[in-house]
Amino acid sequence: MSLIREIYKHRYIYSLAIPGLLILFVFSYLPLAGHLLAFKRFEQAKGIWGSPWVGFENFRFFFGNPDWIHITWNTVYLNSFFLIAEIGIATLLALFLNEVRHALFKRFLQSVVFLPYFISWLVVSLMVFGILGNTDGIVNHLLIKTGIDQVDWYQTPWIWPMILTVIRAWKNAGYLSIILLAAITGISGEYYESAKIDGATRLQQITKITLPLLRPTIIVLTLLGIGRIFYGDFGMIYAIIQDNGVLFSSTDVIDTYSYRALRQLGDFSMSSAIVLYQSMMGLVTILIFNTIVRKIDKDSRLF
Amino acid sequence: MEKNLKIASSPTARNEKPFLEHFLSFIIYSVLLLFAIACLLPFWIVFIDSFATESSLIQDGFQLWPSHFGLEAYRYLFMGNQVLSSYGVTLIVTGVGTVVALWVTATFAYVLAHPKIKYNNLLSMMTYIPMVFGTGLVGFYLLIVNWLHLKDTFWALILPYLVNPFLAFIFVSFYRSLPYEINESATVDGANEWRIFFQIVRPIVTPVMVTVGLFYALQYWNDWWLGLLFIDNSDLYPLQILLRQLLGSADALRLTASYGISPPSTGLKLAMVIVTIGPIIFAYPFIQKYFVKGLTIGAVKG
Repeated sequence: MSLIREIYKHRYIYSLAIPGLLILFVFSYLPLAGHLLAFKRFEQAKGIWGSPWVGFENFRFFFGNPDWIHITWNTVYLNSFFLIAEIGIATLLALFLNEVRHALFKRFLQSVVFLPYFISWLVVSLMVFGILGNTDGIVNHLLIKTGIDQVDWYQTPWIWPMILTVIRAWKNAGYLSIILLAAITGISGEYYESAKIDGATRLQQITKITLPLLRPTIIVLTLLGIGRIFYGDFGMIYAIIQDNGVLFSSTDVIDTYSYRALRQLGDFSMSSAIVLYQSMMGLVTILIFNTIVRKIDKDSRLF
Repeated sequence: MEKNLKIASSPTARNEKPFLEHFLSFIIYSVLLLFAIACLLPFWIVFIDSFATESSLIQDGFQLWPSHFGLEAYRYLFMGNQVLSSYGVTLIVTGVGTVVALWVTATFAYVLAHPKIKYNNLLSMMTYIPMVFGTGLVGFYLLIVNWLHLKDTFWALILPYLVNPFLAFIFVSFYRSLPYEINESATVDGANEWRIFFQIVRPIVTPVMVTVGLFYALQYWNDWWLGLLFIDNSDLYPLQILLRQLLGSADALRLTASYGISPPSTGLKLAMVIVTIGPIIFAYPFIQKYFVKGLTIGAVKG
């Protein structure tokens, strides 16, 4: 009753939320029904509700194939690489940008490092091709000119985790560094003043004042990344690797795998089983890490 | 005694300091410059090589300065009307999407942040949960294709992105920073909540709307996920999907078969990239600061 009374009392305010709630419900909550298909054998004509139940058959099939270990491992370790590289480089960039005294030069650098964030992964994929392409790429031309054999990058799976990490850091570190720089700007100048009076060098100011005060922001960014560690960056990996099966061994992640199951094999049930597995893993991860963080540093927890 | 020590040690410290400080500055500036060059170089390669002749691209590949310049790629790209129609699609989707998303998000976030509302924590949780627990590709696909029948329509490219939780929370933190008195005085004057929002609060949040609007515009302009899933009709290809088709060369041949001559394939891809990112690059110097502002609001609130 109190719910209805509350809504009636503030009906004008609540009514402002209706469009947003509707969109949220339709596009974020209704699709959850698709998870049911993980336990069904999907038949187009019968739809989600009418398709027959098959228990855990889809999961038995998915876990019966060693692919699942493979794609899970790829997803987790690629995301870990990305996270460490992005946040590490972003922190370094933010600390360094903060030390630049010429305002105009600082603004210029900031604009430049932020620029890659603004283009789509498809555009990035052509840039990567221009640099690493087997016959046309700049790197291979340089290698040949210096008398070294060219490398067929797009045929060499083991090197791609590193290449993808560099690309991710290239695209996102500037963006993250601006968030961190904003946090640095928020630090009171008094800390630095008193440090200077005590004769602290710039290096000491960075390591003893700026970094410790940045810690909460870095932890939050890391936690957000860890929370999504089972969600592969589909937009990036599918744009750059596309359907190049040679590279799947080191780059195929849960998201590209389930996408192919859906769009290329048309296997809706299998794809749902994979996605449900992924969602569960994601949920468990965030719960575990939030508990750990709550123990270590109470203020940095997410909830 | 301690005082003496300090005084005694300070001259040497002063002598060492300039060297260390200069060395540090040198490292800082060179790292930043190197990173900046690394950021710009790929843009430069794509830009300058899009003006190379196809034969130069075939012979020498990508270069920092092409051996022969020509405009054949652009001439070829604009021969058919596929590029123009894709531009139209992307402009419509970005324009309509941004405006609608702004209103939906601004009003929704207003309720989340409203001090009189009892259930705003519940509403916030509802907004957070989809970020953690994936809604799932299959359910999403079936929703758009089988239930809403939006395959090959503009709506499939617009509706799913109307509420972005991250951007909604940028609004929320700004609303929360507004003084509560705005509300009180208006309520005393007998204005209802709609009038308070549209006539008093809305004008105040204009700067945030610009920032969030630019984030939405960027998302719509760069998205290729929705197009990949839901658009098969080439009349409705957004720029990004056209670009994707050109990058896979087999599709490029199919798309351009009607032109009747063999396409300059590499140059075509490069020109297409330039055409796609052109508006962003042109607008970048003017819009960049709004993005920084948005991220700053977000960062301060955490």
